[in-house]
Amino acid sequence: MKCRRCKAPAEVALPSHNTAFCRDCFALFFSGQVERAIRKHEMIAPGERVLVALSGGKDSLGLMLELARQGYDVAGLHVDLGIPGSSDAARAKVQGFCDKHGLHLRVVELAKEGLAIPDVKKYVKRPVCSACGKIKRHWFNRVALEDGYQVLATGHNLDDEVARLFANTLRWDAGYLSDQGPCLPAESGFARKIKPLYRLSEFETACHAFLNGIDIHSAPCPYSGGASFTHHKHLWADLEYHSPGSKIAFYDGFLKRGRPAFATQERESGGGELAPCERCGSPTSTGVCSVCRLAITVAERRAADPERQAGRAGIQTDQPSILEKD
Amino acid sequence: MITVLVEPEGHALSFDRLNTVLMLQKRLDLRVNDALIIRGDRLLTPDCRIEDGDELRVRKVTSRG
Repeated sequence: MKCRRCKAPAEVALPSHNTAFCRDCFALFFSGQVERAIRKHEMIAPGERVLVALSGGKDSLGLMLELARQGYDVAGLHVDLGIPGSSDAARAKVQGFCDKHGLHLRVVELAKEGLAIPDVKKYVKRPVCSACGKIKRHWFNRVALEDGYQVLATGHNLDDEVARLFANTLRWDAGYLSDQGPCLPAESGFARKIKPLYRLSEFETACHAFLNGIDIHSAPCPYSGGASFTHHKHLWADLEYHSPGSKIAFYDGFLKRGRPAFATQERESGGGELAPCERCGSPTSTGVCSVCRLAITVAERRAADPERQAGRAGIQTDQPSILEKD
Repeated sequence: MITVLVEPEGHALSFDRLNTVLMLQKRLDLRVNDALIIRGDRLLTPDCRIEDGDELRVRKVTSRG
């Protein structure tokens, strides 16, 4: 198989585009897709500062590198989830990547915020992936606004976006369908959110990470088993295999013809007025925002947890008191 | 003998004979863009020939949370 541009031996075959590239021409293709996404949706204006959410995976690290190479003013944000045996490794990859490329990184530790994900899993009665996503999005936006970034970029790729759109469509969730897209404008206490990789598949971002020598965190989250998104991705991979180009056609078609209809419907039905959260200042329609409510729930149930109380009592009885030592 | 390391699981497999990458993908029940097929520091396309003694890595691309 030969590169379509230069006829050198190809390294990347892309049936969806009916083409193949050598590594140099694939780099041009990748950059071109990111440039096209940014230009088409006016994602980043000249001089704007971009905060990139970094998980340690191929998508977020690849996005950060690509934006930096294209000359954007970027910095990274990593949210340390506090999951034993997983979060330390992810954080180390992100730190190593930023050190290697001389990129600024800020880390938020959820354990210090009273929201370590193992505690959320234990004390909150809702799917942990949903709560974790909400907490991460909260901190992405909060840090972007507090630290003066106009734009918040995430590494969502075409497969992520199609799987999410598919899930929203299965539920006919008009609220989510009204604003899903690669660029959400800044409004009411939210930074502009962009997804510059939305035209690139997971395979393409994996190739990009490998060809650029990015050392990624690839171990799955220990809590993500059975996540419906993974199943939806497999369904779409099957569809794409039998009908190349289906994913981008589905997503682009939605942006052109589906989203405007849902957006009109949502505008007509009206939404709740947003005001700053009484605890943290993030926009909310409920007085105290949902993430602060999660933190309160975790703190209360943790304090009342008989296992923790027994643990504390055990430590007290096993350890000699200061007086006893004396 | 051809040895194959499957990532991220870390399974090591060996095959007596495989002609092409496409044949390997079929044996592993993978579609063309389900995984990177790596030999040394190069990516292989489905038509690439596999030789006796090759050491390959199969890196699945679907992120799982």
